[in-house]
Amino acid sequence: MSTLSEPPVVTHGLTKRFRGGQVAVNAIDLEVPAGSVFGFLGPNGSGKTTTIRMLLGLIAPTAGSVELLGESMPKAQLRVLPRVGALVEGPAFYPFWSGQANLLRFDAADRTADPRTRKARAGEALERVGLSNAARKKVRAYSLGMRQRLAIAVALMQRRELLVLDEPTNGLDPQGTREVRHLLRELAADGTTIFTSTHLLAEVEQVCTHAAVMSLGRLVRQSTVADLRAELRPRLVVRTPDLGQAAETLKSLGVTDLKTTAETVEGDAGELPIEKFAAALVAADVRIHGFGLERPSLEEAFVALTGEGFDVAQ
Amino acid sequence: MSPSEAVTVGPRLRTKRYPLALFRSELHLVFGRARSWALLGVLAAVPILIGSAIRFAGGGGDAEGFLGQVAGNGFFLIVASLALSLPFFLPTAVTVMSGESLAGEASLGTFRNLLTAPAGRSRLLAAKMVSLALFCLAATMTIWISGLIVGFVLFPVGDVLLLSGTTVSLGDGLLRALGIAVLIAASLLGLAGIGLFVSSLTSTPLAAMAATFGTFVVLGILSAIPQIDVIHPWLLMYGWLSFADLMRDPPYWDAIGRNLLLQAGYLAVFYAAAWARITSRDING
Amino acid sequence: MVADATPNLPDITAQELLAKVQTAKVDGLSGTVRSSADLGLPVIPGLQGGEGGGNQITDLLSGEHTARVAFAAPDKARVSVLDQMAERVWTTDGKTAWAYSSSDREAVKLTLPAHQSQPEAAKPESYDPQAVAKQFLDAIDPTTKVEVSGTEEVAGRDAYKLRLVPKTDQTTVGSVTLAVDSKTWVPLEVTVMPRTGNDPAIQVGFSSVSFGVPAASTFAFTPPKGVKVTEEKVPARKTPAQPPKTLKPEKPVKPSGDRPTLIGEGWATVVALKGVKATGNGPLDQLLANARTVQGSWGKGKIITSKMVSALITDDGRVLVGLVTPDTLVAAAPKAPR
Repeated sequence: MSTLSEPPVVTHGLTKRFRGGQVAVNAIDLEVPAGSVFGFLGPNGSGKTTTIRMLLGLIAPTAGSVELLGESMPKAQLRVLPRVGALVEGPAFYPFWSGQANLLRFDAADRTADPRTRKARAGEALERVGLSNAARKKVRAYSLGMRQRLAIAVALMQRRELLVLDEPTNGLDPQGTREVRHLLRELAADGTTIFTSTHLLAEVEQVCTHAAVMSLGRLVRQSTVADLRAELRPRLVVRTPDLGQAAETLKSLGVTDLKTTAETVEGDAGELPIEKFAAALVAADVRIHGFGLERPSLEEAFVALTGEGFDVAQ
Repeated sequence: MSPSEAVTVGPRLRTKRYPLALFRSELHLVFGRARSWALLGVLAAVPILIGSAIRFAGGGGDAEGFLGQVAGNGFFLIVASLALSLPFFLPTAVTVMSGESLAGEASLGTFRNLLTAPAGRSRLLAAKMVSLALFCLAATMTIWISGLIVGFVLFPVGDVLLLSGTTVSLGDGLLRALGIAVLIAASLLGLAGIGLFVSSLTSTPLAAMAATFGTFVVLGILSAIPQIDVIHPWLLMYGWLSFADLMRDPPYWDAIGRNLLLQAGYLAVFYAAAWARITSRDING
Repeated sequence: MVADATPNLPDITAQELLAKVQTAKVDGLSGTVRSSADLGLPVIPGLQGGEGGGNQITDLLSGEHTARVAFAAPDKARVSVLDQMAERVWTTDGKTAWAYSSSDREAVKLTLPAHQSQPEAAKPESYDPQAVAKQFLDAIDPTTKVEVSGTEEVAGRDAYKLRLVPKTDQTTVGSVTLAVDSKTWVPLEVTVMPRTGNDPAIQVGFSSVSFGVPAASTFAFTPPKGVKVTEEKVPARKTPAQPPKTLKPEKPVKPSGDRPTLIGEGWATVVALKGVKATGNGPLDQLLANARTVQGSWGKGKIITSKMVSALITDDGRVLVGLVTPDTLVAAAPKAPR
């Protein structure tokens, strides 16, 4: 979705150096388009949470600036944050209170929230995250997944223009994860911009329109998910027991970047007319068990970008 | 062009403000916890213990001051209980509550939820202080009420003998005792301010409580060293006993006023320090 | 009691001021008096006089005290010392006098003889600025330089400052200043400065005062229920007041034996006692052990000095005390009766 409005999240040279001298976030320039579902990717410790804390005014940047919904943070936080739903680094609640009481407390902290509709809005938010039955249970008795849902419910107490979510599916079972992703798509369809950090590529593939990749405090890439995919050139993969012969033939056909595994020979076919390759291989007495173009996963793309692997959680 | 107009489905602009909701919520947090009621329960037990000891063990008859008058007039159980709670029980309760106030939110992580709500750091601090002040008042009023009930049940009750040797009606006496409860609550505000500041420094409530109580003990020790009596008038507890001046005829206001000023001074200094800390602090917890 | 304003008043000579003070007469007054004393006396916990009287005097000579006072001519007076969480009251309506202590809830009733002319008997002199000031005025003689040293505001009233400076350097008293009300000529404040140092050794004065005649009920005392009352009768024609205590603080040592002898005069007066046994308890021994030893033809002894008071305790049980320098004590020692 594209509108003419300003991007809801913009940072310029945003930097956080901790007291020990460690640079957690190093001069990043983020721009989150309005209406996007923006995946903020990176391995644990790459500076995602620190960035999110700076976006929300919880910690002060060492350098650089943050604009949220067109206003400067943290100066305008009292004006801006009521329009922003946030979940920062895992759910945090008063364990001795019920889920509902927790919602009411955080809503009461927002001076723009109407006290007359508070209970009703809490009920709706709990309903949306599937916690209606546990509303009066003490949070102490909640599972991690329930707390995560409750944290999302806090962000849903009002209609928001922007949601900033830090690992929203963390701790959820597969069913819960699906539900939350569905919820995000639903909210996005309503026009809410969603900025969500994650270390799960599947999440980005399934729900995000845009993505940015953090590595060691730096922003290494940001673009639409479609562009990211398009850039990834498909690879020719030949499954065969005659590895040597196959490699030689492909090389003679002009395929570069050849790699041989136990059962396959892979390479970059570029713009070559691959429909002719099968015939050439057969002619060279290569037995073909499989033949085709394989598009690399985003994961491989990000490994290439960050030089690190991601946790594969599910 | 404001961004809310441009977004396809913007939330309706919320122009009304409800700034007091956070204060009500703070009170709910302070008084909606079992632990607060346990602390108040301990305070309510003070008159019961003192009253029972005097009534059933026959002690205290020769005691000086307010305690010695309890057996003859149950009214004095209120004043004696307030006086006896002042050196330890009340400061302990205030220490627990104030040490918990900000450090508790930080340790639970709820601090960040409040700030992104957004509560506003200054307003959150103000709400914490107001709820602490009301807790102080609730603490002394608990003793007042408990003392009244126990005093009336266990002892004869009658006109009230003031320190000046004159006698006033029981109603007048109860009003004075109410004034004492309010004064003692106000006397605890300086300590509450210290606790609030210490609490703003850490994310560990127990550490904040220990440091606050430690400060209280050190001030107490300093108050007891005669060689440094020049600084005594500036120590937190210097005017704590001035509440008894309400039991004179007429009440002697000078020392009471001085104590209130001193408490206000402590509160102002430590509240300002807590404010400076909380408005600049990185919330990592 | 802080002079935070210097009011503009017409000039007056010391003599005129003295005359006005001597003839000052008010029909009544009431107010709050504060006293602070810092004589630098060593704290000897074991040595506080057991009797109520001695205890109270040493008590009044140290630290800070607040009292409410009221007076109505000719013979009604009330003093309430506001102690911490307690109160001591002395009051007289001219016929009876009461002393009440809230801490032990005991009252003493004195029936005064008829036509008593000096009803102040029952109240401690050191708490009445008028009495304190007069003591000083009586003591003025050629040994003392007297001057009007300026004006100040005391208890919200414009006052002249009358300063008395001892001419001898044998005393530890630096100056005595009276603040005299410019309308009623009642002394409002007395300040005794030591010869060395900037802090007053004694300051007694009104922090608030009003010159209206207090209601008669102010001086009445009805013993409350539950208060033990002891009745005493004051026989007629007995010297009513104790010797004023303010100028000559007694050591909190019980004099055993004869009456004290006075040596020297004016500011350099030394009080000599004999037959005093150091009771041999720890704190005093310790104090003496650390004290400077002096000797002369009269024998040998230890000198204890403080900001204002010096004492010489000889080995043969004589004690010389005064608001004087240690040298003056040594010089007086041969004259002290054995």
